[in-house]
Amino acid sequence: MDRAVNRLVAWLTEPVPRGRVAAFRTLIYLFVAADLVIFTPWVRNHASTPGDLYQPLLIGRLLPLPVPTPLLVHAIFWILLAASLAASTGRAPRLLGWTVFALYFEWMIIAMSYGKVDHDRFGMLVALAALPTAGRARHGDQTGTEAGGWALRVTQIAVVCTYFLAAWAKLRFGGLDWVTSSVLARAIIRRGTDFADLIAGVPYLLVLAQVGIIALELASPVIFVLRPRWRNWAVAFFYSFHAITFATITISFAPHLAAITSFLALEKVRPVVWVRGFGSRNRGQVKEHERPVV
Amino acid sequence: MDTLTRRGRAVRVAVAALGTALLLAGTLWGGDDDFPFGPFRMYSTAPDPDADAPDTRVEGVDTTGRTVELTETNSGLRRAEIEGQQQAYVDNPSRLRQVAIAYAARTPGAAPLKEVRIVIRWVGIEHARPTGRSHDQVIAQWTAP
Repeated sequence: MDRAVNRLVAWLTEPVPRGRVAAFRTLIYLFVAADLVIFTPWVRNHASTPGDLYQPLLIGRLLPLPVPTPLLVHAIFWILLAASLAASTGRAPRLLGWTVFALYFEWMIIAMSYGKVDHDRFGMLVALAALPTAGRARHGDQTGTEAGGWALRVTQIAVVCTYFLAAWAKLRFGGLDWVTSSVLARAIIRRGTDFADLIAGVPYLLVLAQVGIIALELASPVIFVLRPRWRNWAVAFFYSFHAITFATITISFAPHLAAITSFLALEKVRPVVWVRGFGSRNRGQVKEHERPVV
Repeated sequence: MDTLTRRGRAVRVAVAALGTALLLAGTLWGGDDDFPFGPFRMYSTAPDPDADAPDTRVEGVDTTGRTVELTETNSGLRRAEIEGQQQAYVDNPSRLRQVAIAYAARTPGAAPLKEVRIVIRWVGIEHARPTGRSHDQVIAQWTAP
């Protein structure tokens, strides 16, 4: 028993290179900025929504958070945009990290308090809550960090929960009949693309897709026992699932897609170093191993 | 390597356990109100394979007599938000006046709306596939006095 607990604790805090935490941090905070402007810009529209239509969620009633006003909505938008861009540099990870988390959480509560709750950002919220605890991290640093390992692990767990518990919710709300129901046909009627209309015309294809979705969701925890190479393939499979979803019913799950990168060896992605290397080679400088042997 | 202190490790394990417990409880017994720990219930219902599918829209008629579809862009309200509060609009159609106000705020210069209605287009489904047939039903309507 003790050994099992120790192994679980070691797994939860398995060290990762600091460079991975730095890259994940930059990616997540840049995503927050992009989310404000590109992916969910409609949240800002609630500045002009009459307060009568505001129906605060449990968390909004408990805290208790104010009814959004134009001043509140625009102030959060601009401060959050500035804070997330500053946080993406990796400076002041605690102060900026907690600021971004608090503001983004309130931003989401505003977003979800007018009658529709989205389910695409649990992993993102967990990443934002965990990153401030991961400590300082420089890009490219190979030193291991357990605090950083925990931050990435809990984000991974949140990502897998988003799939696995979605299957659970289907059994709870739809029951076993979900698999043969007209749920995808309905989704296509409401927001289907031309590509989706094509698919809907093929007999039994939508029901087959429903079987596939449940299977993918129930099998998602397997990613934790895969070797790194296969884990990357599993991540590619997740992304391909979302690509098809977007191509058929234009739902992107963008924040979730950003959180999925917690499974990748992001420290190997060094765009700034690559650009610098390319620039210096163009000026005639070569690295030691690139010198001609004479 | 950066190792955690005993306390640092214990706190992290406890927080992870608490978060997981809340999420499991939300999935088993909770609802959307429990955000962010509510159930991941997107597309989780099981509509009958032969039941017509509702495709909701909100439309208004302005003072020039033009019919305008009210969207996220011109009213600031998402369709799903209108649907989420649908029963409240059916019970009290005068609530749709707020939508007209939101439209006026989001679309300055546009002729004001004298009527707002929620319309459901029922699209036929057979064997879990759309048939292409449909009919419209107005479920809530507000007219300016």
